[in-house]
Amino acid sequence: MKTSQTSPLVALCGAALSLPAISATQPVQTEMSIKTSSYEERDLSERDVVVGATERYDIDINQFRLLAPVSRAWSLGVDISREIMSGASPWGTVAGVDGEASLIMSGATIREKRTEVSLSATYYGQDASYSVGLIRSEENDYDATAIRLGGEWDKNNGLSTLSLGFSYSSDDIKPTDAETYGRVAKEDKDAVSASVSWTQVLNKASTLQVGAGVTKHSGFLNDPYKLRDVRPDEKLAWNVNLRYRRFFDNQNAALHLDYRYYSDDFGIDSHTFYAAWYKNLGARFQVAPNVRFYSQGASDFYVAVDDYSLPAIENQSTDYRLSSYGAYTFGLKVIFNEINWSVSAGIDHYISSGKYGLSSGKDHPALLSFNMASIGFDLRF
Amino acid sequence: MNTVTNQFRAMGCPCELRLFIPDKLNQEKVVSCCVAEALRFEEKYSRYRPSSLVSRINAAAGVKAIDIDPETSAILDYTRVCFEQSDGLFDITAGSLRSVWHQNMKTLPSQEVIERGLTKIGFDKLIFSTDSIFLPFTGMELDFGGVVKEYAADAIATLAKSMGIQHGLVNLGGDVCVIGAQQDGTAWPIGVIDPFGHGEAIARIELSEGALTTSGSYERFFQVEGKTYSHLINPLTGWPVEGLVSASVIAEQTIVAGSISSIALLADTAGGLAWLQSCQAPYLAIDQNKVCHGTLK
Amino acid sequence: MKIEFVVGLAILLLTSCESVQPWERGTLARPEMQLSRDQLGDALYDQVYYSKEASSGGAGAAGAGCGCN
Repeated sequence: MKTSQTSPLVALCGAALSLPAISATQPVQTEMSIKTSSYEERDLSERDVVVGATERYDIDINQFRLLAPVSRAWSLGVDISREIMSGASPWGTVAGVDGEASLIMSGATIREKRTEVSLSATYYGQDASYSVGLIRSEENDYDATAIRLGGEWDKNNGLSTLSLGFSYSSDDIKPTDAETYGRVAKEDKDAVSASVSWTQVLNKASTLQVGAGVTKHSGFLNDPYKLRDVRPDEKLAWNVNLRYRRFFDNQNAALHLDYRYYSDDFGIDSHTFYAAWYKNLGARFQVAPNVRFYSQGASDFYVAVDDYSLPAIENQSTDYRLSSYGAYTFGLKVIFNEINWSVSAGIDHYISSGKYGLSSGKDHPALLSFNMASIGFDLRF
Repeated sequence: MNTVTNQFRAMGCPCELRLFIPDKLNQEKVVSCCVAEALRFEEKYSRYRPSSLVSRINAAAGVKAIDIDPETSAILDYTRVCFEQSDGLFDITAGSLRSVWHQNMKTLPSQEVIERGLTKIGFDKLIFSTDSIFLPFTGMELDFGGVVKEYAADAIATLAKSMGIQHGLVNLGGDVCVIGAQQDGTAWPIGVIDPFGHGEAIARIELSEGALTTSGSYERFFQVEGKTYSHLINPLTGWPVEGLVSASVIAEQTIVAGSISSIALLADTAGGLAWLQSCQAPYLAIDQNKVCHGTLK
Repeated sequence: MKIEFVVGLAILLLTSCESVQPWERGTLARPEMQLSRDQLGDALYDQVYYSKEASSGGAGAAGAGCGCN
């Protein structure tokens, strides 16, 4: 009797897979989801602003998704997203009376819309699936087109999954009021990226995913709305991430732990930690408190105050997104599940500060906080 | 949603479908499609129907090759893996030994008769490709009895799922394939018959997915010269097997569970238990001394 | 350095895998055990953080567009 090497069970299961009645999984139901969200960034205080508005952004987002199996081996997906944004943004910084940086903000609010549409197709084979997606995003000053290819392979009888992804994106930037403010009229940039991940079932109640990705950006990478913002025309970025899921029977709850490390050659390093506790209350309700901690180190060419004496070919930026800071998000989600539909609602509170980061830095006056609320509905048929 | 229980006979055994059929589906259509699928396997692989594919293949033994379809070719490939994994015990050509060992025999066959019978069997003697099969000696025959009933359960379950059924089970003569847990989420309680009893269950297994098969040598046996012999013949020695009386196995597919439980009964008691251990699938085995072994309660 | 600790932990967890039989996968199939419990939500947060922070990428991220303000 064969009692060693590969388990006979594995050999038999492998052989069974070639039988017509037994094949790889594909979604059997059509799924439709909608979500509407709204967030408000907190206004700046008067003493941080030298000129311009003190309000930040208000953004409303509506999302729609439809995923449907169209035959035994194919499924198609459509995603549509619309954002309406209005508010003022930082144009630059100057040294205030106390020597600290103060903001020059844009003027009265502007109402902008962004629409994104994505189409995808997935093919399901034996223990593998392949997908292709096209994405198009448009707003009044920015257009982007991207293509994404992906493959997933099941191994070890579905206990492990290898996933590879590749994407290419091409963006066009046409800043508004270019002539009035002496901004560039039209620029472009593109990005190529590749990613890989391995998902492993550890035991009956937990899984772990380990992944890595790399992206190369090239083209016009400056922020065209800043008074003085000069960045290299290439950026190489990479990241590694972990996602752990574990179910606790005695608590009837699942723990989510995510970690991401990011690094690029602008000099930015960041860590992102996320934890969520999905607790089941009865058969239908699920409550999920969650917390996110983010910490980034400053870019090599970040400066707190715009220095116009520096030559315009030397990299510099006072964009708060390139400064050293940390941020916390505290969130709560509630989900109500029925067999064929579910409703979810969530709120989040985000705060950031130069002092929260792992390598503490000076507070950039434009570091923001916001509150977000969203409601979603999911239908399966 | 309607719960439907339909009982019918196919492949020589009592069969049962238990399905939770959503209102939007045509109940009669779902049931008749499933029953038709079971009958399709009987039409194709039954030795007792002269028009079946298997009968035509057996009738052409020693004469010519017969064309086969991809489903049959896949089943043959699967039985080859069973043959290899069981070191030759699971052999779909072993059916011809029925001429050596049968009911109403008065005396034990002589070793010479057994030897002659063995020349007509041997999976490795088959000549087959993806589109045809040839049995080289007259008297050779294929018997898919150990695998088609289980595969049919998987096929019916897949068919039901493709029609939109998410909760239900298929039971073909004691081999059960679960389509999905009961509508309220609870598992299906499946009983394993006590081989030494009179039809009561010796164990109840709760299954919400996967398949449970039971192979037993207690229902059919011969009495020759005062001794009871199992109807299962060891294809390597030509003699009836003296081993486990019953083995029940759980696996994701019925065909896999069925192969594991069948092979367990073709070995002697120690070999059968070792085989079940090595497969690492949950099992319940009962030996001739009525002792229960295994990882199922 | 932090990253080495994290990679080491990942390797330790991955090598401690047990074999899980198909009929034991009920828990893993629960919606709250999926890598993404709410795909629209994940896409939303990816976009929100992408426009406010310097980092991008991570599991399942990437999309076109800026929406930067």
